[in-house]
Parts: sequence; C-alpha cells; structure tokens
Amino acid sequence: MTILDVRSLSRRFGGLQALSEVTFSVNQGEIVGVIGPNGAGKTTLFSTLVGLIRPDAGTVTLDGKDLAGLKPHTVASLGMTKTFQNVALFAESSVLDNVLTAGLLRHGVDAARSEALNCLDRVGLRAVAHKQAGNLSFPERARVELARALCTAPKVLLLDEVMAALNPAEMAGIMRLIRSLRDDGVTLLVVEHHMRAIMNVCDRILVLNFGRLLADGTPGQVASDPKVIEAYLGRSVEAAHR
Amino acid sequence: MKRCLALAAAIAAVALLALLLDPRGYWIRVLTFTLLFAAMAQAWNIVGGLANQTSLGHAAFFGIGAYTSTVLLLKFGISPWLGMLAGGALGGLAALVIAIPTMRLQGHYFALATLAFGEVMRVIANVWTSLTGGPGGLSVPFVPPSLAGYSFKLLRPHAYIALAALVAVTAVFEIIRRGAMGYRLRAIKQNPAAAEVIGVDTTRVKLQAAVISGALIAMLGTLYAQVAVFFDPDTVFGIASISIRIALIAIIGGVGTAAGPILGAFFIIPLEEVMNDLLSSRAAGLSQLVFGVILISVILWQPRGFITVFGALRARLSRAGVP
Repeated sequence: MTILDVRSLSRRFGGLQALSEVTFSVNQGEIVGVIGPNGAGKTTLFSTLVGLIRPDAGTVTLDGKDLAGLKPHTVASLGMTKTFQNVALFAESSVLDNVLTAGLLRHGVDAARSEALNCLDRVGLRAVAHKQAGNLSFPERARVELARALCTAPKVLLLDEVMAALNPAEMAGIMRLIRSLRDDGVTLLVVEHHMRAIMNVCDRILVLNFGRLLADGTPGQVASDPKVIEAYLGRSVEAAHR
Repeated sequence: MKRCLALAAAIAAVALLALLLDPRGYWIRVLTFTLLFAAMAQAWNIVGGLANQTSLGHAAFFGIGAYTSTVLLLKFGISPWLGMLAGGALGGLAALVIAIPTMRLQGHYFALATLAFGEVMRVIANVWTSLTGGPGGLSVPFVPPSLAGYSFKLLRPHAYIALAALVAVTAVFEIIRRGAMGYRLRAIKQNPAAAEVIGVDTTRVKLQAAVISGALIAMLGTLYAQVAVFFDPDTVFGIASISIRIALIAIIGGVGTAAGPILGAFFIIPLEEVMNDLLSSRAAGLSQLVFGVILISVILWQPRGFITVFGALRARLSRAGVP
C-alpha cells in the first residue's frame, strides 16, 4: 500500500534547481534510503515533504491526502515529520521537555510526559532526561532529535543523517531502532552518508544528483548502476578518453 | 507545598502592610502602584518572557483599557467593573490586530514595530477629542463609594484590588508557563522551524499569547484609571511611563519567571519615588540620572535580573543543609 506519493516535485533557489521533477512513491512499512553527493537536494527534498519549503511544482500525497499548501505542524498531525541534519534542539530546555513538546501534538501534558519517557527509553537516553539538551554530546543530541520526532507518533519518519558522528556500536543501535520502528508499522526515509549502514538497513534506495532522481531500486541494483557510480566517482578514465 | 506557603505568606505580608500604612497617606499609594505595575509587567511577561518577543508597545493596550472603562462610565454610567471587561475585550482585539503583521518579526524589529503601534495609539487619543477629551485628559467622575461602583473613600481597597490583580495575573502566567502552551512557547522561542515540524502551530500559539497578554494589560488599565482618577493620552499611552517601564520591571526582576516582575516592581517603583522625593529639589534631572545609574549597575551586576540572586542564594542555603 502506497503511503507516500511524490509527483514531479520541483523547487528552484535563485539559479539553483534544488529539486527537479522528482517522482517516487513509498509503500507502508518500507525503509527507503536517500543518497547522493553533497548538494544533491536530499535535505531540500525532506524539507519540502514536511512543508518547510514550498515546492514550485509537483504534489506530495500522504496516506491519500494532498499536502499542497499545508504547514509543517499540519503535516506532523497527519503523520509525517523529520529530524534536522544539523540538529535543531531546544538547547536551553531539558532533554525530556524537548521530547515532551512533540508529545503534545497528540496528548495532554501528563500523557505527553510518559510518552516522552518511552521515546527516550527507545533511543537509550532516559538516564539523561533531566539534563539540558544543549549540554549533550553531538551523537546524543542526534538521538534526542530522533526521540522527539518519534514522540509525534509518525506514520512516515524522515531521518536526516541521524548516524553522523556515531561510532560503529551506536550506529548498530540506531539501525536496530530503525528496524524495530518498521516492525511497528512506521515507514522510514533515511538520508545517510554512511554507505555500508544504508545498504544494510534499507529495502530500497533513491539516488539524487543535482536535484534529479538518478536511480530508484534495491541496494544491489543501485550499487551496480553505472549512472550512480559515475555520479559518485566521476566518469571512468576509459569513458572520458573515448 | 512549600512554595504555596511562601506565596501565602508574601500575600499576607503585603495585605498587612496595606493595613499598617496610613490609609490617606503617600506610601499606600506607592504600594498600590507597585502592585499594579508588578501585575502589568507580569502580563507583559507572557509575550516578553515566555515567547521572548520584547514588546515596547504594551501601553497601547493599557491605554485602551483605561479609556474604555472611563468613557463608558462618563457617557453611559456603566460600572468600571463591566468597563474593565469591555476594555479587556478591546485590548485583546487590538493585540490580535497588531500581532498578525508583527508576529514574524524578531528582536529589534518586533520591538520597533510595537513601539510604533503604541505611538499611533497615543496620537489617535490626542486627536480624537470628542471621545477621549484629547490632550486635556479625562477625569474619572465621582460616584458614591461602593464596591460595585469601584469607588472608595480611602486607598486601602485599591491596594487590595491591585494585590488581587497581581495574584490573578501571576496565576495566569504560571498556568501558561507550566501547561502545554508554555512548552510550545519555549519551543518557538528556541527554534521555530523545529517547533513547527514536531507539530506546534507557531502562528496560533503566538497569537494566543499576544491576545491574553493584551487583554490582561487592558484590564489593568481600568484599575489604573480608578486609582489615578485623572489621566491623559501621554500618560496611559506613554512610551517611558508605561511601555518601557513595564519591560524594564520584568527585565530587572528576571524575564520569563513568575517572581521576576514582582521583584522588579518592588525595586523600581519605590526607588523612583524615593529618588524623586530626595533629589528632585536639588537639581533638575538629578533624580532621573541617579535612577538611571542604579538601573545600569543592576543590569551589569545581574544581566538576567534579580531572580538569579535568589536562585544562587537558595542553592547556597541548600548546600549548607538549611531546609
């Protein structure tokens, strides 16, 4: 069953075509990786999906509902949210308050608090619930982001580089979490630079380059796609001489 | 529990102070205005503290409240208590109207836009002579003393009403701060984009805060009019006399905390009076100069307000093992 359907999504910033006619759809319960060189439009795609950026053209449909013109908080209440690549916590608030605020989308304060503690349990941060968020290490802050997004009870969760700066053990923990979320019925789109992690955890991979969708397939198909290899490594020497 | 006891003790102390002071005297007047300005700064604190939008235009709503109840009393003989409700509604409406265009502005730009709005209201009040009496001001008409008519022979009931208003506005502030709206406002203040993405309707929450703050301060305008008995546009819509003074009270005391505006008012309002009393006969402007120097010293000493002194004191006491 298709939960997220994206048709011909385009967005231009001045002279830069950040997204160009991007079309794909995601089934419920899928884990979809989004990869591409720096500046390929991955973060712009996520921001456009949740309504932070208005597309110039194209449509986004979430669970059968057209998201055109909706603000991010409405998109969140319909069930789609994202984490921020450079971590956008409420730095002066406690870790618990950061996550609790997201829980208020569906609960009153008391229920949101217990929901927030559950989410912190899931990312393994319950022990630091009462610390100020700004005082945590970068990998911990990324996990608070994840817990906060989880606390909105999303149907579709967009993770923007939550594994950056993690050590292999922490990364394995996040991958386990991603799989367990999928088992709970959450659909995930994951932007990640760490290739082994993304090839390992994703059912399907979208490759973006210069704002265009370059490839859409299983990790195996994508890894052997000559267009993808070219985008990442440049054209081969023989090809350039030919 | 301990906090509730401390609060009850503080209220009782102020009530007792009001009883002890000469009911026709000067100091009960100072006390009344101190309580009133504490309540005003607390209402400002909802926007200025929780949403972190430093408004310098709250005199606009305050003046609307003062004029609404007084004009209704003068022209139609309506009790100031009802006038206060009408003023609150108009003040809330004005806050909504000004918040819609200014809400996206941040920092200095928001401060300047609100400052301008306050000035526009002052000019309108000066020009619309048929309604406001213009620059000549309005006198609150004398009615036989009664609680229902909000008219008293002595100042003591005014002090009690101001105390009740301070308690009520502080309660509203605390309910907002601890509730869902407080969490949302803190989120918006720190990262509006992240707040939106996790489901906070940032526009709606900001408008709610602005309307509550504006309505409360307009209602306090009625209290002011009833105590002052006479006022003109330059007083109730004044930048220095109202807008900046209430922001200053909250900032000196500690922005965003319930105790901040109360500490600030009990410091600033009596200090101003004492300075005027002691120094205004010595040299022109000397009292203002000394007052300014004291304020600057306080802010340099405690940039986050008096509240930090109390926080540090409490931490030291609890380390020393005092319960």
